Amino acid sequence: MSKSGNKLTSVSALMGVAVADSAGKTLGHVREFAVSPVEDANHVQGLVLRMEGAGRRERWIVPIADLEVGATGGLRVRGEGTPRAMPEHDSYLLLERDLLDQQIIDVHGHKVVRVNDVEMVWEMGHADDRTSENSHPYAAPQGTLSLRIAEVEVGTRGAVRRLLKGLPLGTVERAANRFKPSVIPWEFVDLIDRDPARRVRLKIEQDRLAQMHPSDLADILEELAPAERQALFTSLDEEIAAEALEEVEPKMQKALTESLDSERMAGIVEEMDPAAAADFLAELPEERSEAILEEMDPEERQEVEELLEFSSDSAAGRMTTDYIALHENALVADAITALQGFEGDMETLTHIFLVDEEERLHGEVALVRLVLAKPEAALSELTDGHIVCCDLDANGKKVAELFDKYNLRSLPVVDDDKKLAGVVYVEQVIAQLRMRQ
Amino acid sequence: MGFWRRWRVRIFLFLAVLGPGFITANVDNDSGGILTYSQAGAQFGYTLLWTMIPITLALIVVQEMCARMGVVTGKGLSDLIREEFGLRMTFFMMILLVIVNYGNVVAEFSGIAGSMQLFHISKYASVPVCAVIVWALIVKGDYKSVEKVFLVASVFYIAYIVTGVLSGPDWHRAMLETVTLPPRAVWRDKTYVYMTVGVIGTTITPWMQFYLQASIVDKGINVKHYKASRLDVIVGSIFSDIVAWFIIEACAATLFVHGMRNIAVPSDAAGAMKPLAGDFAFILFAAGLFNASLFAASILPLSTAYTVCEGLGFESGVDKGFKEAPFFYWLYTLLIVLGAGLVLIPNFPLVKVVILSQVLNGVLLPIIMIFMLKLINKHELMGDYTNPAWFNWIAWATAAIVIALSLTMLWNQLFGG
Repeated sequence: MSKSGNKLTSVSALMGVAVADSAGKTLGHVREFAVSPVEDANHVQGLVLRMEGAGRRERWIVPIADLEVGATGGLRVRGEGTPRAMPEHDSYLLLERDLLDQQIIDVHGHKVVRVNDVEMVWEMGHADDRTSENSHPYAAPQGTLSLRIAEVEVGTRGAVRRLLKGLPLGTVERAANRFKPSVIPWEFVDLIDRDPARRVRLKIEQDRLAQMHPSDLADILEELAPAERQALFTSLDEEIAAEALEEVEPKMQKALTESLDSERMAGIVEEMDPAAAADFLAELPEERSEAILEEMDPEERQEVEELLEFSSDSAAGRMTTDYIALHENALVADAITALQGFEGDMETLTHIFLVDEEERLHGEVALVRLVLAKPEAALSELTDGHIVCCDLDANGKKVAELFDKYNLRSLPVVDDDKKLAGVVYVEQVIAQLRMRQ
Repeated sequence: MGFWRRWRVRIFLFLAVLGPGFITANVDNDSGGILTYSQAGAQFGYTLLWTMIPITLALIVVQEMCARMGVVTGKGLSDLIREEFGLRMTFFMMILLVIVNYGNVVAEFSGIAGSMQLFHISKYASVPVCAVIVWALIVKGDYKSVEKVFLVASVFYIAYIVTGVLSGPDWHRAMLETVTLPPRAVWRDKTYVYMTVGVIGTTITPWMQFYLQASIVDKGINVKHYKASRLDVIVGSIFSDIVAWFIIEACAATLFVHGMRNIAVPSDAAGAMKPLAGDFAFILFAAGLFNASLFAASILPLSTAYTVCEGLGFESGVDKGFKEAPFFYWLYTLLIVLGAGLVLIPNFPLVKVVILSQVLNGVLLPIIMIFMLKLINKHELMGDYTNPAWFNWIAWATAAIVIALSLTMLWNQLFGG
């Protein structure tokens, strides 16, 4: 094995390894790996030892910086360093207890996986000198030692290594290396903890989850056991929680939100698409949905309440009030301003609707046309000339037919006076068609 | 009015969670179970009926703990064992479980072969066809419809109750033997002791614990509905043991009375019953055996594949494709193909395979019982749902008895000849 083979290590390889004092007398054996995420989430801060001759429950911790690795791979405390008693409080992430054999979220591959081993790298030099690790020769006399967490092994290689532990290291490595590694880089790992308070205390990062698509996040929520699911959902920020909530099944929506108080729920519901919010609230017991509405911002509350009135199979029940409607005399520049101030989900927008003083629908302009037009052009010149719309009480089948016939991506819904009431988007229709199957 | 309403809500709740407990308890009366019960009835008449009440209690105690763990943690038993006891232990257990369950799958397919032979259908036709049905049911169907099929299959166990009635038993004696302990003299008979152990051993098995907990998790039963789930377990256990009671009773009333003591395979019992209890009883007994074997043959390979994949962290689930979860599908398919294939090899010593799997059963069950009790008493895991002190007494006592019996059986099979 090459130089890099020397530097690599893993939780399973280091577990149980003897640590000697500077005179070479064995102090104790490695039992745990303490990481302090608040200070540095990427390095092991200290090794937890079971001291020679001490009780089973007693734990001592020795900082990595006080250690050196001997030529044969043995660990030794340098000069003055001595282990100190492990503090009782739970501010450490312990790799063996919290990571090995537990489930984690692979943020990049967006799935829940089980950890077989944790790969680590011995590094020399200062903690902030990580990038130049290769220029330092291994075990150089100057500088301090650090132990970086590199990746999490979830495949057969890690499993083999642990199953064969106890045999000579070379044999284990040879057997393990026959299998393809299946690793997740540490920066894509999100821990799952049953206790939301501990999640916060350990600063288990939420922004990693925020990188995921809400639908993938929803899948992960559905895959987890109730306690973990709850802890994860509670710690999401309102916007992400709202997006994920829109994507999970109604039954799961209920389960997820059961333990949250109305105030926090209101915050999440406000961030949801009004149509999705109405569907969600309609599934809740009346008392609960009333309480949530009570806490909401009056404007958003009214929007949602209006949608709640309609039956879920009608166009009105499917439509959202997140759309942009401008006066028919407006210019392209006005449309751009309106788009800049739009608070709803930008990606779903396909058209800008044109209405008169009475809010009656007169036309629609595809967004693509805005791009090609001059800012001073009138919107009414950019319309298609014809317009397809439906009534509030049009049923799901009728709506789907219109989408199919006219190849629509959005369909305006008008009330009895031909006033624009809302818009049905294509994803709503697809969801509904799939449900029917 | 209010009273009715309350009850209606309760009944609906019960029907909504009904399934896992009921199905698991019924699958327990599989081909191996029917064989043991038939032998018990044929050899000792009514005198083993007393075991039914304590067995039912033990079954409820054990199954209830699994159901509770499933409902509270939302995780399968193999998941929990992996998280609490580490990879090595889990790996060792999973290997044992695969071998034990493979033996059981073989027993189920030989049950299918035997019962169809009673209707003059060659095993070279019945076994491959059933194997394909079993495989397709899971791979092509979804869990919800499969569960319904299973629930219907459970109802067919009533066939045994009808057979029991048709066999014309001595009701008074049968009832009396159920509630009284046998005279002390019987314990000097080694085969009687052996049979008692066998009856208990066939009722509480390792795979059931994994299957029950996994299907409760799969159903996503909420802690609030835990009481209904517990009822599911209790009703299922009682129903399954009533069926067992009738099998013993039917064989006692016919085979024992006419001195036919030797039953080697489960279909022997049905065949021997024909001249004694009439064609109808024969058909019901044979059809019941077929149903039970097919039912268990559909569940065992699936349960094994799920359990192993969960414990060892492979992708699993019928909603995933072959490419996404290759290990899951391979294990599932191999268990069925090799299980059915072994039955089709002419003159293969099937009985030895089944006995081997029972021996390993005896090794595995004590470990699982101890793990279960340790897990369920972990406060971090179960919160307020750990065992109360009095229940722990009962549970540990039950575990101790079951473990002692498993080890006795193991001893007998290894050294008793």
